[in-house]
Amino acid sequence: MNLRLSSVNAELKRRDVEVFTEAVGTYFERTTRKKATVRSAYLLESRDAFPLSDFTGTITLSGRFRGIVCFTAPRVLLHHVLMMTGESDHSDLAHCDLIGEIANQFAGQARRHFGGGLEISPPALLMGHAHVIPRLAGNYPFVLPLTWHGYEGSLIVHMEPNP
Amino acid sequence: MRQRLLIVDDSMTTRNRIARVMDDPRLTGLRVVGQARDGAEALQLARSQQPDVVTMDLTMPTMDGAECISALVSLLPDVRILVISALSDKLTAIRVLKRGAHGFLQKPFEDHQLVETMIEAIHL
Repeated sequence: MNLRLSSVNAELKRRDVEVFTEAVGTYFERTTRKKATVRSAYLLESRDAFPLSDFTGTITLSGRFRGIVCFTAPRVLLHHVLMMTGESDHSDLAHCDLIGEIANQFAGQARRHFGGGLEISPPALLMGHAHVIPRLAGNYPFVLPLTWHGYEGSLIVHMEPNP
Repeated sequence: MRQRLLIVDDSMTTRNRIARVMDDPRLTGLRVVGQARDGAEALQLARSQQPDVVTMDLTMPTMDGAECISALVSLLPDVRILVISALSDKLTAIRVLKRGAHGFLQKPFEDHQLVETMIEAIHL
C-alpha cells in the first residue's frame, strides 16, 4: 500500500490507517478465500463528497479519537460475496447485513490497536449514494480504493485524536 | 442423541453461514434448533428449546452477548457456549470466559476454523 500522510493529518499515524485496511483484507480472505488488493490511498479534498457506493457500513469513534470509518461497496461486489458464502438470500436486507458485518470488523481491529478509552458505535448502514457524512473541520479523509474479484469498493478513514 | 444448538448473532448472513457450516460431516452430533438476533431473543429460545450448545456474538442490540452468557449459565448450567466475535482482545476474552463461555473464535473466520473450534469447545 502506498500511503502518504499529509501534514494536515499528521496526528494520525500510518499504522492507525493500516489496521482498517487489514480488517477489510482479512475479512475477504477468510470469508471468501480470495484476497482483496488495496490500491494507493488519496486524500479527499474539502469540496469533494464522500465517494459512496450502493451500500455503506460506518462506525463512529469517540473517546480517545473521534471521527468515522466506513466501507462502501457496489451491490455486485456484495452479491458475489453472498454467493461465495452460500447465502441464498440476495435481498437488499442481506446486502445491508453483509456490509454491516464488514464494518463490524473495524470495531474489533480498532479495539485491539487503539486499546481502551475508545468508544465504537455499532455499524450504521446506508443504502444509495445520496448521503452527507459530516466532516471533521481541518481534516481530510483518507480514501483507500480496494479491489476484490475485479470489483471495486472503498475504505474511508476520517478520524483524529480527540483533544 | 444429537446435541441441540442455538445460534445467536445480530447478523442474519452470519447466522445463516454458521448454520450451513454445521452441516459439516464432523458435526453430525449437532442439530440447529434455533437462531436469535440478540440476547433477549436468545433467552426466550433457550427456555423453549433447551439447547446444549450456543454460539454467541458479543456486540448485539437489546442485550449483549456478555450479559446473555451470564443469564444463560444461570438458566441452563450445563450449556456449552462458544463465543464468535470480532471483539477478540484479551480482556474481552477473559471477561466472557469468566462468565461461563467455553471457547472463543475471532471473526472473520474460515469455515474449517469454526468446525475445529466447535469440536474443541463441546468435546464432540
